[in-house]
Amino acid sequence: MDEEMSNSLRRMSTRTRKVAPKMAAALASSDNRTQAILARLEALENDNAGLESVQVDEDDEASLDDDDQAYQKKQSKSTKRKTRQAKALENAKKAPRTFLELLQEANLESLPPHIPTYLRAAVGPPSSTARRHFCTVCGFSANYTCVQCGMRFCSIRCQTIHNDTRCLKFVA
Amino acid sequence: MSNVVVLDNGGGLLKAGFGGERDPTCVVPNCTARPSSSKKWLLADQLLSPTEDLTSATLRRPFDRGHLINPDLQSSLWAHLFTTILKVHPPNTSLLLTEPLFTLPSIQRSVDEIIFEDFNFKALFVSDSPSLVHLYEASRRPYGLVSKAQCSLVVDCGFSFTHAAPVFQNFTLNYGVKRMDLGGKALTNYLKELVSYRSVNVMDESFIMDDVKEKLCFVSLDVQRDLKIARKPGKDNMFRCTYVLPDGVTYMKGFVKDPNEANRYLALDASDPSSPAGEKEYVEQQVVNDKPQDRRSVDLTKNEFTLTNERFLVPEMIFRPADLGMNQAGLAECIVRSVNSCHPHLHPVLYESIILTGGSTLFPRFAERLEKELRPLVPDEFQVKITAQEDPILGVWRGGSLLASSPDFEAMCVTKAEYEELGSARCRRRFLH
Ligand SMILES: [Zn+2]
Ligand SMILES: [Zn+2]
Repeated sequence: MDEEMSNSLRRMSTRTRKVAPKMAAALASSDNRTQAILARLEALENDNAGLESVQVDEDDEASLDDDDQAYQKKQSKSTKRKTRQAKALENAKKAPRTFLELLQEANLESLPPHIPTYLRAAVGPPSSTARRHFCTVCGFSANYTCVQCGMRFCSIRCQTIHNDTRCLKFVA
Repeated sequence: MSNVVVLDNGGGLLKAGFGGERDPTCVVPNCTARPSSSKKWLLADQLLSPTEDLTSATLRRPFDRGHLINPDLQSSLWAHLFTTILKVHPPNTSLLLTEPLFTLPSIQRSVDEIIFEDFNFKALFVSDSPSLVHLYEASRRPYGLVSKAQCSLVVDCGFSFTHAAPVFQNFTLNYGVKRMDLGGKALTNYLKELVSYRSVNVMDESFIMDDVKEKLCFVSLDVQRDLKIARKPGKDNMFRCTYVLPDGVTYMKGFVKDPNEANRYLALDASDPSSPAGEKEYVEQQVVNDKPQDRRSVDLTKNEFTLTNERFLVPEMIFRPADLGMNQAGLAECIVRSVNSCHPHLHPVLYESIILTGGSTLFPRFAERLEKELRPLVPDEFQVKITAQEDPILGVWRGGSLLASSPDFEAMCVTKAEYEELGSARCRRRFLH
């Protein structure tokens, strides 16, 4: 990456930089356009703007009020189960679980086709392939496509902003 | 007070209270967050305190893509809910819990474990949301179509996804359910993106941007026309408005700088003869209600940003996801596909009894736009009738409250003893038909 590009990236939020390594991994594909779309969809579903939303944190227990904690202690004693603390620690050792991992484990593809499942309930792609295109910078109708990443822009002004701040930012 | 706790456990909000009541005791975020200035994680209701500055707070949710993935965190939030907010003793209490459609068996198992083994609830009933919404609407209008035909199409536009779900005789027809992977959370994140690239970086401000979205976004009835208006300079731009960010000193919460300015767009379609006012069942939400003193003397430190076309381009995503880079059909097509997977006899009734629920249906003009998009896709001989729930955030809970106070409720539940004898999977079968 050239000097100018990295400078403009540095000016961007810490947030964007935090996302980068994760996205970069998910985006090992050689197709920049596919990568950009994937990264975008991922970003739209994330809390903390792309930081892992499911990390188990040692601070966890500290957040509970005293009476909650007393309550939980009593509960775990009466059921002779592991304390929550021990359970949380145990989970901390495991890799964070995402819904997509749980979904894979459930192996829904193996169910007979007449059974409705999470996968079969997906609405699917639109029937019309006609699209209205909006400039990703300013939101107005966009007639141009970035050759590098496939995002849309409407004017030279927006193209410049796109190149400086957005283009392939996740691949940085 | 009833000894049934009704818990609508959403990915975004927990709605909890007692069966038989009209409203839940609390509606609180289903998450924990740590303000940037603190080491302490705040839970649920603690996040709603007006003095808490949540600028750049770190957020953790028990849900991912609409499903429970962190049972430990959910359990901590529930412990706080049951003990501190509802103050119930679970061994003497039954629980009515909502669960997303198509919840995976592994997730159901961990929920059952928490409810019966950690909290020791006396009995449990698990329900999906659409059947509760149907129940509530049918009870409100005993002579209406929803009630007489025992049939409706519930469109639930929630936090992580949107479902079109046919309900027949109080059961959701799973084979007819269609899902878009788009909800309030994606919309907030999209708004963050737009604002961050155009003016101020707000990528870390989920709480603030939720507020911006709720107060300022609306659904356009004519996107091309509105894009033109949004280009106009100065006063002619009916959409331009300004949101002031909290500064952590004077303002702990953000606010709309000038609510009158923000509401100018409402005049646009009011004169439109194609939308007869008063005829519709939905109520135009008056979205802005900041107190006047909040608006005084805003200093110009650039701690604010201006919105124009973002206000309608964000909700636009629900209607045309493909235009915004998501390869999914929009809401109108989602409804048509759901109806088409049901028996043809049901089609006319379903189109005539569409019920809108979920927080994302609160955008002004949501129902109007949906009708506009849906009408051309539905055969001419069928009527299209869309009813927006009076309170789309509480609709599911109210249905649950109704069910929990019905005489049959006890018999529908699985008791702790039954759970211990049969295990999770066999108990779960009880909840399906
Ligand atoms: Zn542009
Ligand atoms: Zn580009």
